[in-house]
Amino acid sequence: MARKSKQAYKQAPWRRQIQSIGLSLLPVVAIAVIISLYLIIGGQAAAAGLLIMNLHYEEEEILRTIANQRTQLAWITSYSQMQKRAEKMGYEVASEINMHYITIAGYQGQNAVLIAPPPGIENESALFVNKLYNQSLSNWFLETFFIASPNGIGGDS
Amino acid sequence: MKKSYVSRLNLIGVSLSLASILIVLQMVRIQNSTKHQELSQWADEEYSYAIENYYPERGNIYDRWGRLLAGNEDVYEVGVMLEYVANPITIAQALDGVNQLNYKDILAAASKTYDPEKSVYAVLTDFLPSGVIDALSQIKQDYELANPYGRKEKLPSLQGVVWIPHLKRSYPENALASNILGFYSFMDRENGFGYYGVEEYYDDLLAGTPMEIFMPRNPYLLEELPDVPAGASLVLTIDREIQAMVEKKLDEAVEEHEAESGTVIVMDPRNGEILAMASQPRVNLNQYWKYEEEFEDKTPFNRAISETYEPGSVFKVLTMAAAIDAGTVDEETIFNDPGRFEYGGSIIYNWNRRGWGKQTMQGCMQHSLNVCLAWVATELGKEDFYKYLQAFGIGRRTNIDLGGEEIWPLSTPGDSDWYPIQLATNSFGQGIAMTPIQLAAAVSAVANEGKLMKPHVLKAIIQDGKQYDTSPQVLSVPIKPESAKIINNMLVESLKEESSLASVPGYSIAGKTGTAEIPVGGVYGTELTNASFVGWGPADDPQFLVYVWIEKPGSSPWGSVVAAPVFSSITQDLVMYLDIPPEDSEQTLIAKEN
Repeated sequence: MARKSKQAYKQAPWRRQIQSIGLSLLPVVAIAVIISLYLIIGGQAAAAGLLIMNLHYEEEEILRTIANQRTQLAWITSYSQMQKRAEKMGYEVASEINMHYITIAGYQGQNAVLIAPPPGIENESALFVNKLYNQSLSNWFLETFFIASPNGIGGDS
Repeated sequence: MKKSYVSRLNLIGVSLSLASILIVLQMVRIQNSTKHQELSQWADEEYSYAIENYYPERGNIYDRWGRLLAGNEDVYEVGVMLEYVANPITIAQALDGVNQLNYKDILAAASKTYDPEKSVYAVLTDFLPSGVIDALSQIKQDYELANPYGRKEKLPSLQGVVWIPHLKRSYPENALASNILGFYSFMDRENGFGYYGVEEYYDDLLAGTPMEIFMPRNPYLLEELPDVPAGASLVLTIDREIQAMVEKKLDEAVEEHEAESGTVIVMDPRNGEILAMASQPRVNLNQYWKYEEEFEDKTPFNRAISETYEPGSVFKVLTMAAAIDAGTVDEETIFNDPGRFEYGGSIIYNWNRRGWGKQTMQGCMQHSLNVCLAWVATELGKEDFYKYLQAFGIGRRTNIDLGGEEIWPLSTPGDSDWYPIQLATNSFGQGIAMTPIQLAAAVSAVANEGKLMKPHVLKAIIQDGKQYDTSPQVLSVPIKPESAKIINNMLVESLKEESSLASVPGYSIAGKTGTAEIPVGGVYGTELTNASFVGWGPADDPQFLVYVWIEKPGSSPWGSVVAAPVFSSITQDLVMYLDIPPEDSEQTLIAKEN
């Protein structure tokens, strides 16, 4: 018959207390860590949100400034202003007597105005956005640890 | 003792559990109550999102070389946040006289009692330029240094005064090309609208789509804000330099000939592009609200597209083109002009009331003989004559892309208002009405090998960062290229032989004068006339067509005296702007190249 072994000594009560307190505090600490992470990430997300809002207002202001400056430039280069400036600088209106026509090889005349690119030419700036900024956390996790990305992390170089 | 201790603990436990259960139950009840849904919706509306009305930037308008004709500039609305106003008297003193504001009105607005429900903000004025705002900002800062937050009531303070920037339509060329551009009623910020010209015709494109944006107040929701694209920008076929030159010469001619008004159209007959279109009167578009002072009664905003009139002898170009194309006459056909032509119970006379004897068709055009053209039209026959007129677009809108085009319906055989005499009178442009653009477009078909191109002012649209060029459209082919060539030569020789005031030294020009009596009360014979000239060149490869119409000239009634010199003057400058060398230079250049 097997004999039951008996522990000769008990752990000190203070040790047992610390163990039990430690064990009961463990989930509390884990929760606190998770909450802290959540708060940090949440705070960063909120800051990013506010930054987006500020950038949105800044963009509006920049667009307004561009429109305004384009128009101010048009005011100072308007027909009447340019005429005044030309007269002040001593230019005269050309007449047919002053006109001399010469042949310039390859010159096709004044090109048609092109204020924006024609359709078919894609906006290159779209490629400047790094793939990292379009990647979710889960995608990053999967691609990093389970799928071998041909371009490595982040993809674009 | 121990037992009672346990029972008390149990009692507390049960009580706390019951309380917890009650709280949970209450929470479930609140979550599912109808009141909750109402409150939740109210909170979402009030606190989750701010509704912002976003008006996209109105598209720009450029001339054919990219020079801005209509844009937008920064201006400011000035108002007071009533909650923060510290010293209304200072506000009234600072803004007195600015933008026609007066002390009393400002004081009344700034002294309003703040009410979070009804009275939060009061607008004082709008459309202030940035220079005024800079000065106002400086004053406000100075006061703020001496009296922070306006706490000392007796010291001056501009606390509560705010300025909000926004864009305003701006026309850097003022009145230049105003008849083409039209205007946008920018003083009405919420319900502004394009009136006349390009601003009216392309209002939807230029305006873009105003949007109500739900701007989240919760920063977590601010991941993506909707992109509100600006209105489309337009590149016109108009050349600013040519437009300015044409307007100047037209104004001088109207003044010199004591005329009531005038109109000039310069177009490229090869593709229908309008290079310039000038008309009187014109208005400074930056002060568009004054246009009613300039355009009294029913004066059209742009006579070139909105005023119908009897064109007179310039119309003979179409009659002769139709007859040649149908084979009724050719350049060798002889007409013996007796000086009168009886038809449909009426008698047609020449402009000088005498006969010109034997004339070729070129002679008929050169001397502008009504009798000859009336005979040509009757030989052609009414069915063919009106069929050709319809093919030339007479009686129909050209559908030029400008707001406000008018037409006069063409009466044809079978209509209740058509009489046989009209076949004869219509042949020389009497008893038939049209707009200058209709006539210019119709005649441009003769200059363009018989192809009638749609007149237009839009060269390209810039939308979503891309430029889309427009393509020329053929409206009809009323005559064959051979017929166009014959009439072209006929009109070149006519101008050469009569040493016309319309001729342009060094260039081969085709053209025709017009002098149309203006009927008063349905009776012709008054001294009031419409003097006009239509011409194009270089005759062997037409690159421009110029139509000049001087309305009711006082110095002379004749198109050959009043309108022809204007045509010549405009064309002499035009060939330089278009880099068209004179024929002798061209020959030299070709010789050098070879």
